[in-house]
Amino acid sequence: MNRIKTFWKKGDPYILFTGAGLIFSLGMVLLMLGIIIFNGMDAFWPKNISEYQLKDGSKFLGEIWDTKKDYLLKPDSTYGVVEEVKVKTGNRDIYGSDFKWLYHKDIKTSNEPQEAVCFERWEYGNFYGFINAVSIFDKRYTFQNKDLIEKANEALAKTLDNRNKEENIEKKLNDLMRPLSEVQRELSLIDINENVNKIKVEKLNKKAEELQNKIEKAYTKLSNDLTKLKEEDSQIIVSVTIADGTNIDVPMSKVLRLYQPNKMSTISKSFFYVKKVWEFLIADPRESNTEGGVFPAIFGTVIMVLLMSIVVVPFGVAAAIYLNEYAKQGFLIRMIRLSVVNLAGVPSIVFGIFGLGFFIYIIGGTIDQLFFTSELPSPTFGTGGILWASLTLALLTLPVVVVATEEGLLAVPKENKQGALALGATKWQMIRKVVLPSIMPGILTGMILAISRGAGEVAPLMITGVVKLAPALPFDLSFPFLHLDRKFMHLGFHIYDVGFQSPNVEAALPMVYTTAFLLVLIVVTLNLVAIYFRNNLRNKYKSSTF
Amino acid sequence: MSDKNKFRKKIERNNKIAASVISISGYGVILSIVALFAFLLYETIPLFYSASVTKTVSVPSNKNSKIIFGDIDSYKELFYSINEKGIVSYYNVKEKINSGNDTIPLLDNEKIILSEKSTTSIGRIAIVTDMGRIINIKIGMRSDFVKDKRNIVPTFEIENNFNIYGSNKDSSFGISNLSYDISSDGNKFWSWLDNKGNLYLKIFNSDSEQFLDYNLSKQTSTFGLTALIIDTENELLIVGNNSGELFSFDISDPEDVTLKGNWKSSNNKITKLAFLIGGNTLIVGDSKGEVESWFQTRGEDNQLHFSPINKFKKHNSAVAQIIASPRNRSFLTIGENSSVHLNFSTTSTTELEFKMNDHSIVYGTFTPKSDGIILVDNKNNLGVFNLDDKHPDVTLNTLFNKVQYEGYNEPEFVWQSTGGSDSFESKFSLIPLIFGTLKGTFFAMLFSIPIALLGAIFVSQFSSKKLAKIVKPTIEIMAALPSVVIGFLAGLFFSSLFEQNLMLIFSLSLFGPLLMILGISFFGFIPERIRRNYPSWVDIAFVFVLMCLVYIIVSTTVYPLEHLFFNGNLKQWLYSSLSVTYDQRNSMVVGFALGFAVIPIIFTITEDALSNVPKSLSSASLALGASKWQTVKKVVLPAAAGGIFAAVMLGLGRAIGETMIVLMATGNTPILDLSPFNGFRALSANIAVEIPEAPVDGTLYRILFFTSLLLLTFTFIINTIATFIGDKLRKKYARF
Repeated sequence: MNRIKTFWKKGDPYILFTGAGLIFSLGMVLLMLGIIIFNGMDAFWPKNISEYQLKDGSKFLGEIWDTKKDYLLKPDSTYGVVEEVKVKTGNRDIYGSDFKWLYHKDIKTSNEPQEAVCFERWEYGNFYGFINAVSIFDKRYTFQNKDLIEKANEALAKTLDNRNKEENIEKKLNDLMRPLSEVQRELSLIDINENVNKIKVEKLNKKAEELQNKIEKAYTKLSNDLTKLKEEDSQIIVSVTIADGTNIDVPMSKVLRLYQPNKMSTISKSFFYVKKVWEFLIADPRESNTEGGVFPAIFGTVIMVLLMSIVVVPFGVAAAIYLNEYAKQGFLIRMIRLSVVNLAGVPSIVFGIFGLGFFIYIIGGTIDQLFFTSELPSPTFGTGGILWASLTLALLTLPVVVVATEEGLLAVPKENKQGALALGATKWQMIRKVVLPSIMPGILTGMILAISRGAGEVAPLMITGVVKLAPALPFDLSFPFLHLDRKFMHLGFHIYDVGFQSPNVEAALPMVYTTAFLLVLIVVTLNLVAIYFRNNLRNKYKSSTF
Repeated sequence: MSDKNKFRKKIERNNKIAASVISISGYGVILSIVALFAFLLYETIPLFYSASVTKTVSVPSNKNSKIIFGDIDSYKELFYSINEKGIVSYYNVKEKINSGNDTIPLLDNEKIILSEKSTTSIGRIAIVTDMGRIINIKIGMRSDFVKDKRNIVPTFEIENNFNIYGSNKDSSFGISNLSYDISSDGNKFWSWLDNKGNLYLKIFNSDSEQFLDYNLSKQTSTFGLTALIIDTENELLIVGNNSGELFSFDISDPEDVTLKGNWKSSNNKITKLAFLIGGNTLIVGDSKGEVESWFQTRGEDNQLHFSPINKFKKHNSAVAQIIASPRNRSFLTIGENSSVHLNFSTTSTTELEFKMNDHSIVYGTFTPKSDGIILVDNKNNLGVFNLDDKHPDVTLNTLFNKVQYEGYNEPEFVWQSTGGSDSFESKFSLIPLIFGTLKGTFFAMLFSIPIALLGAIFVSQFSSKKLAKIVKPTIEIMAALPSVVIGFLAGLFFSSLFEQNLMLIFSLSLFGPLLMILGISFFGFIPERIRRNYPSWVDIAFVFVLMCLVYIIVSTTVYPLEHLFFNGNLKQWLYSSLSVTYDQRNSMVVGFALGFAVIPIIFTITEDALSNVPKSLSSASLALGASKWQTVKKVVLPAAAGGIFAAVMLGLGRAIGETMIVLMATGNTPILDLSPFNGFRALSANIAVEIPEAPVDGTLYRILFFTSLLLLTFTFIINTIATFIGDKLRKKYARF
């Protein structure tokens, strides 16, 4: 017992307690990362389809998503464990919701039928069932055909091909109509004013007519092609038997992909997985962002952080150089340091509201007044856009760059600088030739950390220009290529939006986890690179003392 | 030679340019933070401007015939007045010219004595003549655009007229008071008092297209009725008498008008009544110049009763006019001695007092957008005033004190910035938001401080170098995790995890530490000699194993315990036995998530502060025979106290300003409730939620800027203090 007493007296237990604090912190990080990684990576793995027959005779077909134990009042009025299983039954347009909780005690049998098919649809989520028949034009293949699934795939390939063609034609139609619609827009603008310039109107009308005549032939041809393709689509139908035994005709043109997960081997599942990940990275979102890909969000994030870096890196680096090389010790330098510390501590939403009030309404509003009067009252720069969001974030990440650059500056040996000056270099020459090259890793660290911060920040962005669905990318092939006034999508906001504002959060969860995983992957990678750079810098510092 | 010179000049020039560009960037950093402050202030200050009026024009008027009515279009460009002879004269205020007349057809020698406009329908006016006729007119203002220039064109229309005496043309009962209104479903209401104090009500029922006449004086059973008003929702008719009593009639059913109740509101004669926008607040003015607001509250009998709410600045003479604004809860009171007061009902302040001149004012009204006042005195002087009162509903009192809002039984702190209709009373109390921020911060700090400090102490004092090399980047990654990801996990993953395992969470935080102490005590049985000799990772491995054990023990015993004490479900038990509701997104979840975001900040800075305590100090302590822990406790921790304090402060700053986590992990309901099982709304999340809907430069917009300024100021103070402490410490240890 004495031993215990001295053990406590000397305080050794407290040391163990501090260890517990550390384990807890590390555990939390690992837990968070683990949840994100597990759920994010799991989302696209094709899950087997189970068929449940309940004791009351009803049948359900779907993927197992979750199980839980609940403490509920049982019929014999005692509380007890009730096990439940959450099944994604899909078929939202028929059942009204995607999910169904089944009590274990109600389930009579469950199995994984080999022939069960999962249809990914362009709308209304997944559809589960068994293929009963496939009709392609006037040919009908029923379950007597052994290669029914091949026929279904053939039909799908045909409709996907048609879909591509249709999109092409629609694009062509748009291009064709553009000059005409521009003239018509001009005409409609004139009509508002009463002092009509008659000659101008006549000229425009004539031009419109000419254009119409010119495109008419091409227009009719294209729209005929389109109707033909749509006609074709309507003749490719797959008949599906759903869980309760009814047959439902699904036009194949509504389907994006079909597969039989219960038949797939691990290898083919892996291939499928890779394909899905690829789609996630390069495709546009569908179904109010809950399905499809996140390409516009990735693209928007990248363009935004690049714009931000262009502003913040020179500014931050110059400020750091001023602090270390130009400013004399004293009040001013202390004020600048205090400002840097305080900028780092300002809540991000405050930057956001500053960006909104100052950049958007004051500067943007003035730009609109001066250069975009014809567009008023609809704002061009006087509303949220990628430029203002980038500038706001540039302000927010300024201290990150300053601090990282300063760290680099401190690592430059005095002797090198003095040597350069002694050789007759001006201060600027010294900075350019001696200081800047050796602080490159520091600048790079700052830039990477700023990018990582910018990629993850959401609060200021959601009020300065990020939207849930941007109609166009901020950078494209139409002049002037980089559209600074456009609203954009952002990975971080995508998480908030899909996870908290979409109508069907439950079905969207895999999407949120995957997006979160992607964001975390980017941020963590950037930070690890920054840490690596910084460590290198420190080592260099150690070895370069004379 | 000249080439060389040129080269030198170029270098010199570049040097200078570089110096100035770099210096500007340096100043730019200071400028950024100053600009932040300045701009937020610039947007905030107009909130607290007091109201002002400026006279824009004196409209010329015919001095010979009395002006009965005056109004202006919503752009304040075309003014019109009606005089006793029925002449409607239009006056272009911008160009200062008369622009035409219209005439209300009157009989010979008939004169207009009273006018009243509908509060809800613009341009609908009832005119009373001395022959007992009530004529209803409609004056509209159409804006035409000619060459991009706005031109206001009046439209004039006589709707109908009727004689209040019917066929009996005894005009000795002159009308002394009239209230006129049109309901949204087309019913029209006229109510008037005659010189003998009789009360009449005439209703046009739009369903049956019939007029209904009531003589209500008998129902009041008093004489001497002096003032009346129909509320803007057309549900109540309020009448006052000369001994300060008020009577309310239910007129919501045109076929059945009944006396609802009466109460004493003053000891003096009631001279004027008015309803504010929304038809809930009644303003009562009496002959001593007292002005008081009343609205219905639920009494102990659960019935609605009119209760006195606020008293406004007294007039020195009887209240002659009370005019309600068509846009907000402002109202004018005009005393018989010509004093004009502008009051605001929510704030219960009299914002402005002024006089047009020394003559008594016979008529007054607000402009349609409530941005101006029109006054007419008994000498036929007409004045149009610009009213600059953009943010009447905000005072420091309404922001930080309890206010009794319409429909509330007592003064309360409420944040409810926008409502469904125009007549919504905005409730801008910042207290629920500040409380929310503090509540979230409190739980976050409660969770993060112990963990971060313990962890930092271990890493800086007791761990091996190898372990520190792994820990530091991990903590850095923890700091870099986007708050949107933490918030998402908190809101969608941990909130339901906590809800399902409430008992486990409680047991772990309660029994976990106790079991840890017990377990660690067993560690003491190992002889010290042995403990000193094995590598340091054994310590941490032991703690890890112990923690796992504790978790296993608690998690296996928790459900039987829950079954035994809480009927198998703690959440249910909390509700049924303690009537504590459990929100899924609550303060505990926020505390956990926000704590996660704060831990790396406190951890890193504390670790720095502890590592910077000179080795010589701790070595000296150890040399004197103190144990490792004694050294840490008595030497290292006191020396680094300032740094640790700074770390906690910076963590606090982060917790206060964090937006996404509180936005996603709470229900964002602005309630004042200490329970850790409820959500809240924080200042920062409130900005994110409300700013997209706030009209630019409107009251809500500026209030949100004000809250940002509060956040900025708070974090500024915290950061500045932390910096100073850090500097001091650095200086203190520079000599070692």
